[in-house]
Amino acid sequence: MAMSKDFYRALEDIVGARNVSCDPAVTENYRCITAQSSAHYGPYATRTPKPLAVVLPGSTEEVQQIIKLCNKYKVEFKAASTFWAAMGYIGSDNAIQLDMIRMDQVEIDEKNMIATCEPFAIGGTVSVEAMKRGLNCNIAGVGCSSSTLAGSSGWVGFGPSSIFMGIASENLLGAEWVLPDGEIIRTGTLGSDGEWFCGEGPGPSPRAIFRGWTGTAGTLGVCTKISIRLHPWPGPKWIPVRGTAPAYFADGLDCVRAYTVCYPDWDAYAESFRLFYEADICYLAHRQFNMFGRDIKTAMVEIFTHPEKQFCDLPALMEDPYIKEQNEQMKVDVQIVMAGFSDRDLDYKEKAFDEILRQVGAHKSEYYLQQDIEDFVKLYLLRLGRKNYNYTLCSSYEGNFGLSGNVFVAAPLMEEAAALKRKWEQTHTGVAAVGGDSDMGSVSGIGGGGTTGWEFFVHFDGFDLASIEDSNAHIEETAAWMKEKGLGTDFGRWNADARKPDGYNYSQAEHDSFYEKLPQPAMAEYQWKIREAFNPNHLTGSYYKTLTPKEFRKGKK
Amino acid sequence: MATKDSLVTMLGRANVIDDPKALEAYAENHSFDLHFKPWYIVKPKSAEKVEELVKWANKTGTPLVPVSSTGVKLRGDSVPSVPEAVVVDLSGMNKILNVNRQHRMVVVEPGVTYDQLNAELAKQNMVIAGSLRPKAGQSVLTDVVEAVPRLNPMIQWNFFDPLRCVEVTWGDGTRMFTGEALGGPRDLKAQWAKQQWQVQYMGPWMTDYYRLVTQAQGSMGIVTWASLKAAVKPLIHQLYIAEADDLESLEGFVYKAMWTRFPDEIFILNKFQLASLLAEDYDVDELKDVLPPWIVAVGAAGRELIPEVRFEARSKDLIDIAQSFGLDLKEGIANVPGRLLYEKVTSTDKNEIYWKDDYEGSHQSVFFLTQLEKTGLFLRAAREVAEDLGYPTENIGVYIQPKHLGSSYHMEFTFPYDPDSAAATARVQNLVDALSVAVADLGGYFSRPYGKWAGIQLNKDAQSLMALKRLQGIFDPNDVMNPGKLAV
Repeated sequence: MAMSKDFYRALEDIVGARNVSCDPAVTENYRCITAQSSAHYGPYATRTPKPLAVVLPGSTEEVQQIIKLCNKYKVEFKAASTFWAAMGYIGSDNAIQLDMIRMDQVEIDEKNMIATCEPFAIGGTVSVEAMKRGLNCNIAGVGCSSSTLAGSSGWVGFGPSSIFMGIASENLLGAEWVLPDGEIIRTGTLGSDGEWFCGEGPGPSPRAIFRGWTGTAGTLGVCTKISIRLHPWPGPKWIPVRGTAPAYFADGLDCVRAYTVCYPDWDAYAESFRLFYEADICYLAHRQFNMFGRDIKTAMVEIFTHPEKQFCDLPALMEDPYIKEQNEQMKVDVQIVMAGFSDRDLDYKEKAFDEILRQVGAHKSEYYLQQDIEDFVKLYLLRLGRKNYNYTLCSSYEGNFGLSGNVFVAAPLMEEAAALKRKWEQTHTGVAAVGGDSDMGSVSGIGGGGTTGWEFFVHFDGFDLASIEDSNAHIEETAAWMKEKGLGTDFGRWNADARKPDGYNYSQAEHDSFYEKLPQPAMAEYQWKIREAFNPNHLTGSYYKTLTPKEFRKGKK
Repeated sequence: MATKDSLVTMLGRANVIDDPKALEAYAENHSFDLHFKPWYIVKPKSAEKVEELVKWANKTGTPLVPVSSTGVKLRGDSVPSVPEAVVVDLSGMNKILNVNRQHRMVVVEPGVTYDQLNAELAKQNMVIAGSLRPKAGQSVLTDVVEAVPRLNPMIQWNFFDPLRCVEVTWGDGTRMFTGEALGGPRDLKAQWAKQQWQVQYMGPWMTDYYRLVTQAQGSMGIVTWASLKAAVKPLIHQLYIAEADDLESLEGFVYKAMWTRFPDEIFILNKFQLASLLAEDYDVDELKDVLPPWIVAVGAAGRELIPEVRFEARSKDLIDIAQSFGLDLKEGIANVPGRLLYEKVTSTDKNEIYWKDDYEGSHQSVFFLTQLEKTGLFLRAAREVAEDLGYPTENIGVYIQPKHLGSSYHMEFTFPYDPDSAAATARVQNLVDALSVAVADLGGYFSRPYGKWAGIQLNKDAQSLMALKRLQGIFDPNDVMNPGKLAV
């Protein structure tokens, strides 16, 4: 689709010529390879559409001007900061991409434990700045190289630390938002007095429409600044690190303890979660390294913790008697990190932890008690800076199953889910054979505990069509299994209704056909009304889920 | 009489009240705001009837004002602001629909009170996080939906904890669940059969529907059940108290204690507020003469898992932290054992006269959100305004409560007065009006904008007001839900 010269010139006027481009060498780079982004709707061997232009705004005012311009010319727009997944990319040929990289400031209010973040302030930066002041932030499972603001305003935002620090929605305080019609709203105390400490109200919270279980995936305008709740960090102002890449180890974090728990069965696993929630002892709690797969996870950790080892050593390591025996004990496992805010506190947490393990018949993994391995785990989970590991095995992965929610419902089904994946690993070369169970995720998907957030990593070759198709077919089968079991939407299909396999937006008619059968369709009908009120020109794509209300569908109005 | 006939047909004769005395009683309240006697009082007994009622109100253009609590009405939010309104009394919908120990979840109807709920929860060693000594007839659901601060902010990862999911009939007559419960069938029993306990309050998609009924004074819809997160009841507990000559002396300790997350309950009271809480056992005037100007109360607890170890660690650490700020954290002060104060703040007030009214017969409050470091500013403002108007500053009660893990602080001034004295009433009315403006000017945030605070607060931010209006247009297009509230 051709772009109006006037439109482009107006963009230049807003951000300056060096901050806008329609050069195909640039715009082509803003197409998402959906097989490689954990897009949760494929994977497909497609790319998202090429934007008409890429714009790099430097301020809220520039964002506002851009959106006003888009409304005038009826051009769609989508903003993204760290571009983790397909939802950050446009879904139409008549759209521009906003890259928020120039807006990257972080400010910390130490006393009140608040950080204000611009879009390109990544989790790693926010946590480093916070730790200097005895504070820390929830880094979502997406990892520390991703935007804190995007996790808070755009998507889910829970991770290993959520049991202690809550999830992005819970930590989101104030927000500055440029609405799809170009008006700016500042929530709570920010709009009232320029203060960042509360985003609720006054009265019923308008914030309700910007951030639910997920954020709005960039469909309700552009969030330009947020404040988040920070949490206490009892460790040093920075984490001393030793080792050689990639084998980095946290040094001297005496107030932090990391363990891997080995369970006799899934019932014990679930019961321990309940006790972890009630005892309030975890700083971080995640089933992490099982993401590589039940059969290979310990061998993989051996490779990551020994710089001289390579992936070609994997088969030999898997046959190593000690690794094999330790790995066997960790069939059902979880990583737990505790932080002590005093010696007494740490002592209590250790004792409570031991008591929980005693009650459920679990034990600490001997392998993970090795000092280097414990220090590796501490650094890995505290920083969550190794998202590249997700891709190391086969170049790409997609999360499926998504056995989130009630751990007492999900845990008893884990072996059945693992067997289903194992079947595909054994019968299709496109799905990496790692032992079936490659479940990973948060012990808590909500602050203080209560729900889980898991996914099975499906490792596949994102550059091989057969592997992509095998993985997609596998996820299709698991989605059907999830439906049959009444477990809700498969994680690998969460965005199946947001973007078509060819990378383009769905139409309203298509959305209507999806959502009219919802058990409570009002949830989608109200979102239709919210969109009409705040995004009258429909300029932000189809990640926003809407159902035309009955009275309009039947042609009554 | 068409209206009455419609209501009687819908709800049954016994559930439609137009007795003048009863109508008068429903209009009585503490606020100075414009209010009207209701036209009728109706008592629906099910969510289906509530839905039917709201649809009827849309057809007939009848204002509806929901009320769930009984007893004294403190803020006027459940009293009609417009003529010919129907009060929807939900206090009779008082069933505890479900208790789940495994997930510590409970589902309650609007009329369930704290005593009723905690008696039920105690059977499974649980308790609901409470607010500061509510009246006995206080609806737990209303208290939580209206974001009345909890004594324990450490279990509030979310601003509205312990509130989770709700069933709401919006102003347009659409009834639906919210949060996790919205993703399944509109049938709680069917959800429970699948072990779905209404834990997850968000979404379930991109919209947090439940947030639209919070702090709304019933202006968006009528909530007919709410799921709440309960806590494990302490097996060992001590409320420690430290005293101080001034508010500023407590600031460092409270910040540090919040940082560690060691406390269970944590709150600040001035001596008048403390004495008022203890009025059942002491003479307020005598007690306030011996009490320190300020106290901070901090709870330490041990629960089911190694309770002694936790309790001892928390107690000793809190005492050490207090000491590092020059405070002596003790099990009690000047005739006030911590256990007595704990009993008072965590129990409901069953007396005929509410404890805040006990001193002079009535009271007015000004409350808002701020940050701890700014509370001193507001305290000075309150004293200055009181002095200017000749109100005795020694009778100002002050309560400061951290919320949401300490992200914000509820600050509340209480002004007792004699309602039988026209001069005292006029003075306190002027005081509340002047202080409300002063608070707003200093950056105090009326997150729950009752009465005149709506105009003061909403006029500060045109865009938020416009957003709110747009949302009201969606969920209550005919403005039948408690019209006149949240009005500018």
